[in-house]
Amino acid sequence: MRRRPHYLAGAGSIFWLIVVGLPLYVMIAATLRTRQDYAENGPVSIPDSFTLDNYTGAFDSGFDQYFFNTLVVTACVIGIVLLLVPPLAYAIVRSRGRTTSAIFRLFLLGLAIPAQAVIVPMFYLISEAGLYDNLLGVILPTAAFCLPMSALILSGAMRDISPELYEAMAMDGASPRRMFFQLVLPLSRGGLSTIVVFSALQAWNGFLFPLVLTQSDSTKVVTLGLYNFQTEHGIDIPGLLGAVVLSMVPILLVYLFARRALVQGLMGVGGK
Amino acid sequence: MTTKITSARPAAGPRKGSRRRPPASSATTVGRPGFAWALPAAVFFALFAITPLIMVAVLSFMSWDGLGSPEFVGMDNWSRLMDDPVMLNSVWLTLLLTVLGVAIQTPLSIVLGVWAAGHQRNRAVLSVIYFIPLLLSATAVSVLWRALLDPNFGIPADAAWLFGDGNLFGEQATAIGVLAFVSTWQFTPFHTLIYQGAARAIPQVLYQAAEIDGAGRYRQFFHITLPQLRNAMITSMILMIVGGLTTFETVLILTQGGPGTDTTISAYYMYDKAFKSFDFGTGSAIALVLVIAATIISLVVVKVSGYDKMRSTMEGSS
Amino acid sequence: MKTRARLPRLVACGATLALTVTLAACGGGDGGASADDGKIHVLVYGDATNKVEKKLVDTFNKTSDVKVVLDTIPGADYQKKLQTIISTPQAPDVFFNWGGGSIKPFVKADLLLPLDGFIEKNPDLENKFLPSVFNNAVVDGKPYGVPMRGTQPVLLFHNKPVLADAGVEPPKTWDELLDAVEKLKDAGVTPIALGGGDIWPTQMWFQYLFDRIAGPELLANALKGDKSAWESADSKKALGVIKELVDAGAFGKNYDSVKYTNGGSVQLLASGKAGFELMGSWYYSQQLTDHKAFAEKGLGYSTFPTVKGGKGDPANTAGNTNNYYSVLKKTKHPEAVAEFLKLMYSDEFVKEQLAIGNLPTTTNTDKFIDTASNPEYARFQYDLVADAPSFQLSWDQAYPQKSSSDLHKAIQQFFNGQLDADGFIKAMQALPTE
Repeated sequence: MRRRPHYLAGAGSIFWLIVVGLPLYVMIAATLRTRQDYAENGPVSIPDSFTLDNYTGAFDSGFDQYFFNTLVVTACVIGIVLLLVPPLAYAIVRSRGRTTSAIFRLFLLGLAIPAQAVIVPMFYLISEAGLYDNLLGVILPTAAFCLPMSALILSGAMRDISPELYEAMAMDGASPRRMFFQLVLPLSRGGLSTIVVFSALQAWNGFLFPLVLTQSDSTKVVTLGLYNFQTEHGIDIPGLLGAVVLSMVPILLVYLFARRALVQGLMGVGGK
Repeated sequence: MTTKITSARPAAGPRKGSRRRPPASSATTVGRPGFAWALPAAVFFALFAITPLIMVAVLSFMSWDGLGSPEFVGMDNWSRLMDDPVMLNSVWLTLLLTVLGVAIQTPLSIVLGVWAAGHQRNRAVLSVIYFIPLLLSATAVSVLWRALLDPNFGIPADAAWLFGDGNLFGEQATAIGVLAFVSTWQFTPFHTLIYQGAARAIPQVLYQAAEIDGAGRYRQFFHITLPQLRNAMITSMILMIVGGLTTFETVLILTQGGPGTDTTISAYYMYDKAFKSFDFGTGSAIALVLVIAATIISLVVVKVSGYDKMRSTMEGSS
Repeated sequence: MKTRARLPRLVACGATLALTVTLAACGGGDGGASADDGKIHVLVYGDATNKVEKKLVDTFNKTSDVKVVLDTIPGADYQKKLQTIISTPQAPDVFFNWGGGSIKPFVKADLLLPLDGFIEKNPDLENKFLPSVFNNAVVDGKPYGVPMRGTQPVLLFHNKPVLADAGVEPPKTWDELLDAVEKLKDAGVTPIALGGGDIWPTQMWFQYLFDRIAGPELLANALKGDKSAWESADSKKALGVIKELVDAGAFGKNYDSVKYTNGGSVQLLASGKAGFELMGSWYYSQQLTDHKAFAEKGLGYSTFPTVKGGKGDPANTAGNTNNYYSVLKKTKHPEAVAEFLKLMYSDEFVKEQLAIGNLPTTTNTDKFIDTASNPEYARFQYDLVADAPSFQLSWDQAYPQKSSSDLHKAIQQFFNGQLDADGFIKAMQALPTE
C-alpha cells in the first residue's frame, strides 16, 4: 500500500501471533509425539519423538462412521438454514409490516436462549415426535438455533444493497419475488457464505443436542466420539488432541476456500 | 459525514415525514415483500426453540427431578433463588465476566480488525492463523489451556516472576482472570473478522480527504475509522453480551465453578442445579432469568443504537 | 397487487407447516427409536472397557434368540443422560451404574427390578461374587445390581528413589506419614501430589481418614439420614487431622491448580517432584503408559496408614468397589436378561477383564489371577478386597447423584480453608440423602 510500514502495529501483531500460536503449536506438537514423550517432557517442550499413532488411533475407534454422521448433520443444517434464512432476512430488511418487525424481535430474543436451558423440554419434544436416536432429531433443533444469528448476519449483509437498485427494479414493475432472485440473492453472496460457515461450525462442533438426543453408535457424531477419549480415569491427551485436529480439518478447508466471501459477508454484519 | 446529516434531519423535520420520504414513497410500497416471506423461518423457530422455552417457563414453577411427574409448587423455586447467596453471587460474577469480556475484547478486536483490513500479504497470512481458535471445540480449548497453565509443567513453571507459585485456579481473582483470558483467546478472532469486514468497507475518500487536511495516522483512526465502525461495534457488543451471559462451557471444563463457588456464574449454576443436582425446577428458573436478562440488554442496545431503524438511515444516506 | 403477490407465499409456507406437522405425526407413529424393537438394550459408560462388553454381547447373541444391543454414552455425561431417559420409553433394559447412591433414587421411583427373583432361581448370581462388593448394590435389603467390571481400591503410591533419598520408608501409621512429610519437605520436594482441580482425588483423603478414625458406621448413619453423625467427636477429630496435614504443607500450595485428569499430578510423582500420591488402582496402568521406566522400577504402593485410636478396622479399604448392571422393571425379556447377567461371572469375562488390566470381583478370579499383566499387583489388590471387612464406596457415589455437586464444593472449600470445621459439618448435614 501507499503508506509506510507501521512498526507499533507490527509488534502488536507479533505479540498476538505468539498468544494464538503457542497453544496451537502445543496442540499440533502433542498430536505428533508419543504419549510417553508428552507426559514426561510437558506440553511446552520440543518433541523428541515422532508418531502418527494419535491420528490412526482416532480412526480405529470408529471415527469414520462418526465423520459420516457429522457430515450428514452439517449438510442438512446448512440446507435448512439456506432455505429459511434468505427469505426471512429479505423480509426483515425490506418489509414494512408490523408483523415482520415482531418476527425480527422474536429472533433477537432467540439469540439469548442458551441451548442448555431448553435441553430437557427438547428431549421430550423430540422423543414425542419419534425422532429420538435419529439424526433428523439432531438436525432440526441445531438448525433452529442457527437461525437467529444467521438472520442477523444476512440481514446485515442485505442492508448493504443500495435502495436505488430496488427502485430501478420497481420501476420495471418487478415483483418482490423477482427482486429476491435477481437482485438480493446474487448481491448477498458474501452474507450467504458467512451463514454457511457459521451454521457449519455450529453443526460440526455441536455437542449437547447429539448427546441428549442420540444413543446408538450408528447415530454418534464426532464430538461425542471426542468425548470418549476423555474417560473417567484414563488420560490420553495426545490422542484426544489428535482427534480434535482431525475433526477441525474439514471445516478449516471450508474456511480457507470461502475466506474471501466470508470476510465480505461480515462487512454486512458491521454495516457502514 | 452524510450519515450525520440524515440522522439529524428527523429532529428538524416533521416526525412522520422523516420515515416516508416523498420521492421514494412510490418505491416503498411497491415491490415490498410481505411478512409471509418471514413465516416459514418463524414457524420453524417457534416449534423448535420457542416451544421448549415456554415449557422451561412452566417448569420453573414446578418441582421435578426427572423421575416421576412434575409437581406444581408455585413460587417456591423463585423465592428460594432470591435468598440463595450462591445465585446472587453468580449474577455478580456473570456481570463481571461479561463486562471484562467486552472491555478487553472490543479494543483488541478493533485494533486487530483494522490492522488485518490492510491488504498486505503478511497481514492476510497472519489473519488466517488468528482465525483458527474459532474452529476448536470448547473441550479442546479448555484441555489445551489447562495443560499450558499447569503450575508444575506449563508456562507458570518457567515464569515464576509473573505467576508466583502458579496457583491460578486456586484463588478467585486469578481464576476469573484465566476465564476472561481464555474466552478472549477463543472469541476475539470472530469479532476481529467483523471489524476487518467493516474497516474494509470504509470509503477510501475519507482518508484521502483527511490526508490533504494533514491529519496524522492516529487522528485518522480516532476521527474517521472509529466513528465509521459504530454499527460493527453494536453488533459485536450485542454478541459479546449475549455470549457472556450464556457461555458456560469454559467454566465447566476449566474451573467447574471453583474454587468452591468462586467462579460459579449463572449459566453454570443453572447447569449445576439442573444436571448435577437434578433440580430441574430451579434450573429452569435460572435459565429464564438469563434469557430475560439477555433479551432486555440486547433490546436496549438495539433501541439506543437505532440498529433496527438502520434501514431508514441507510436509505437516507445514499 | 399486494394480496395477489402474497398468496403464493402463503401457500408455500402453509405447505412447509403441513410438512413439518406430517413429519412429526409420522414419527410419532412408530413410537420412539429404541423402545420395543424386540431387543435388550444395554446402556454402558463409554470408555476403553467397552471392548470387553462388546465381546460378551457377541458371545450372548450367538446362542440367544433375544438379541442384546450395546449403547454407549461418552463418560463425563453418562449420569446426566441416564437421568433424562430412565423414566421415558427410551430407557434401556439394563444399565451400568456405581451401585449405592447412584441407583437409590431409581429404586425409590420404583423403576428397578429387585434381583432376588433371579437369585432364587440361580443362586450363583449372588454366590459367585465377593460379598463386600456385591453388597454395595443392595438398597433397603434387596439386591439391585450385579458387578460387571473390575474393582478399584484406593492405594497410597510412592516414588521409591525420592523416598530413599529423603530417608523415608512407606508409612504404616499416620505418625510415620507425618514424619515422612517433614523429611520430604526438607528434601525440597512436594510431599504428596494431589490433583485438587478434579476434587475427587481430594475426597479420597476424607474417605480413608473418616473410615480409619470413625469407622464405616459414620457414613452409613449419615446416609440413613442421621445428621448428628457429622457433629460427632470422631467426625471433628477426622477433620482436625485433615486440617493438620494440609497446614503442614503436605500438598504444597498450588494443589487446586493441579489436575489428575490432564496428567499433571501423575507427572509430578513420576518426575520425582513429589513423594506420594493417593489414587485408585488404575494409577499403575496410567503410569505404565505415560512413564514406563518409572512404573517398572520406581513406583511403589502400600495400603493407607493406620490411625492410632481409630475405630475403623485397619484392613478396611475404600474406592470404587465395582460397577454394576441393574435391570429396569419395564423390561419385556426378564428371562433373557437373567441369562445375560450369568456371563458376568463366566471364565471368559474374568479372562477378558484381566487381560485389559481390570480386576474382577468374582470368586473364580483367584484361579486366573496369574494371567494378569502384573500378577503380583493384581494379587495384592485381590487379597486386599477379599479380606476387607468393609469396602467404603467413594462418597460421591454413596450419596445420591444430586448431592455430589454440593459435596464436592464442601470438600474443596474445607481443604483450602474457605470453610472451617463447623461450616463443613453444616454443609454435609444439608446434603440430601435420598
